[in-house]
Amino acid sequence: MISDKKEQLTDLMLKMYENSTEAIFFFTREGQTISMNPAAEKIMNVHVLEQLKKGAENALCTVCIGYTSESDLTTCKDCYFTSSSHEDFSSFQVFLETEGKGITPYAATFHVIDAEKGTRVFILRDLSVQFETQSKLEQNTMMKNVIKAQENERKRISRELHDSVAQELLSAVVDLRALKYMTDDKDVLKKTNESTTTLIRLMDDIRNLSVELRPSALDDFGLEAAFRSHFKRLEESSGLSVDFVSTIERNRYETEVETVFYRICQEAVFNAVKYAHVETVQVRLFEEQNILHLIVKDEGAGFIRGSNPLGTGLGLYGMNERAELVLGNVTISSEIGEGTTVHLRVPLKEQREMAE
Amino acid sequence: MEYIEEYQLQIEKFREALGCDIMALALVQPAENLYVLKWQYISGNISERIKKVVLQSGKGIAGGVFKSGKPLMVPNVSEFASKDDLFNYPILRLEKLQSVGATPLWHSGRVVGVLLGGYRESNLMTTEKLQLLISMSKSGLGKLDGKELLRN
Repeated sequence: MISDKKEQLTDLMLKMYENSTEAIFFFTREGQTISMNPAAEKIMNVHVLEQLKKGAENALCTVCIGYTSESDLTTCKDCYFTSSSHEDFSSFQVFLETEGKGITPYAATFHVIDAEKGTRVFILRDLSVQFETQSKLEQNTMMKNVIKAQENERKRISRELHDSVAQELLSAVVDLRALKYMTDDKDVLKKTNESTTTLIRLMDDIRNLSVELRPSALDDFGLEAAFRSHFKRLEESSGLSVDFVSTIERNRYETEVETVFYRICQEAVFNAVKYAHVETVQVRLFEEQNILHLIVKDEGAGFIRGSNPLGTGLGLYGMNERAELVLGNVTISSEIGEGTTVHLRVPLKEQREMAE
Repeated sequence: MEYIEEYQLQIEKFREALGCDIMALALVQPAENLYVLKWQYISGNISERIKKVVLQSGKGIAGGVFKSGKPLMVPNVSEFASKDDLFNYPILRLEKLQSVGATPLWHSGRVVGVLLGGYRESNLMTTEKLQLLISMSKSGLGKLDGKELLRN
């Protein structure tokens, strides 16, 4: 019975040794290679492999860049291979120059498996995929925080301009207008009239700035109103007309959802203005099965995804990031000469709560 | 917005005299129209779309000339604005212009309008032509100086 189990275990261990994606090396007390599995052979270049097989001393050093200690990312100080305190190296990170993949980070363990003979095992697990995932996660979190911070700051400045600066200017205009009841001097009145004109233009500029930063209509009246005034402004400033149809029943959604829709729509329509070379853009806003949809469609130049972007290329990336903030997604389909369609779907609150 | 036939006729004449593809006049609207600036009179345009565009002081061709009070010459639009930047200049984009010149109209120490001449081919707008445009704006405008618009 016991021998059966042992046999089975030996078989399993052998299979693992042969087929594992982890690189496994066995070393003698003196540091000579006893054996290494196929995964280990794969990552070593021919020259080093030969050295290792020959059992040459320090063969590993030619590919090892160093391990990560508390003070350094890569260090050879107190090398795991020669250190006497093996307990410290039950789990550590090491960088190796590998065949084909260049310098690769590994999670490693190096310990004695036979105290009598001093046989040691060295196991390496490739971390590069894990690292990529991690850096992507970091980038995503960062992006989301940046978006949030930007939105808050815009809201603050926009409010400040609208409520404080523009208001003060308005009272200055009213003061100037009151002058005409105080004097009959034509020259004075003419001059103040001119000043009033300038002030009103300035007020207009400030309002424009405020709306461009963040439309108060979005906070006060909701998506549809904000869209309509945005498209009107767009028509006025660029001559491009927007064919907008909305069939949403309720007026208000959560602030985050509204912001995401507004910004993505803004970006998509702006892209059409900038790159599609069209005269009209279609925008549809509707609700279906508790999912809010936005479709922005143009029949313009189109583009190939992943090809060298004309702009920064951050716009499309940002759209996705924004959508993810509210558990939504964006699909962008485009064909050269056929036009571009941006489709945003965001589950509404009830459904989101269920998903969470 | 008040439409004055005479302005339009004058614009047509200017266009013929200068031999350009398009001639446009933007005038500041009176107080009741919140002093907006639009390309109100155009000759040689391919669409009416540009008349809808509200020009902002400091932005675009008219806005720039309006704010600086100085003539502007763009002999080659593709060198002046990249293709993706063109949406900032609706008149260039909508009317497919390749070279333009523009000059401010003055009245009592203020810019009250902008006169623009343009071609759909590059390098047709020259310094001489711009000078001609400027002198036209000064002499031939007569009633075009915007006096009527400021009568309130």
